[in-house]
Amino acid sequence: MAITTATIDITSTDLGISLNASTNLSKTGTSTGLEIMDAGYGEVTVAHSAKALLEASAVSGDRDTSNYFYLSNKATDETYYLIVKLHDTIIGRLSAGDWMFMPWSQGDADAEINITATNGTCAYEYATFKSAFTLVDKT
Amino acid sequence: MATITANITLNSDITNHSISESMTMRKLGTTAGLDNATGIALKKFTSTSAVVVVEQDEVTDSKASKVYMRNSGSSKEDFFYVAINSSAAAATTTETIGKLYGGDWMLIPYEGATNLTVAPSTASDMTLEYGLFYE
Repeated sequence: MAITTATIDITSTDLGISLNASTNLSKTGTSTGLEIMDAGYGEVTVAHSAKALLEASAVSGDRDTSNYFYLSNKATDETYYLIVKLHDTIIGRLSAGDWMFMPWSQGDADAEINITATNGTCAYEYATFKSAFTLVDKT
Repeated sequence: MATITANITLNSDITNHSISESMTMRKLGTTAGLDNATGIALKKFTSTSAVVVVEQDEVTDSKASKVYMRNSGSSKEDFFYVAINSSAAAATTTETIGKLYGGDWMLIPYEGATNLTVAPSTASDMTLEYGLFYE
């Protein structure tokens, strides 16, 4: 069994915030560690418009499962940011140097994660950790 | 100008690939830090009814707001559905983000155009820890 640990700390002495949390990422509804991981780097330009970074599963049995998604905007110009969407719904805007981490249940086939670069080309790093991945029929 | 720093570490023996990143939360398109935070709140749930935990009118739309959430329980069977929806969160709700199991946490940018809603998977006691950071 693989072990994947996600740890966060958020601090602000100005605002009096200090928290730390850690979790082992597990398969759907169990304490068994996830064993499927995909990670990589890429670059998206403004001209690309919205691009699907990760497609939701085409297999219904893989939907509504326990999966996790990490994304970091590697741009260094502070005016460049990524608009991150779940299908047609904007999650938020990821500024240069920012990262995000969230569960991603793939509730239906229209739950892909897509990104759009704004003001300039954004390099990015991503990773997904999945409970299941069923191969689809060949075309 | 406040300084809020968030660090993440992802260690996995699936591929021995590890990720470690640090960010300072800044206003969109600038180097100025976010000035506001709600603080970290705790909310106890005792039914499976969906509840709005972050209201869209708490922040200005289309900025660099961020939301942190954590299921403070330990059960890997019980979870919160988390959705970008005015009032619902379930498997196929448009648009459910995912399932936050015991101990799991998330930190996402938040557009502020729609509420963030959570729904527990069980009526047994569950507690959500959450906080909002905004311009």
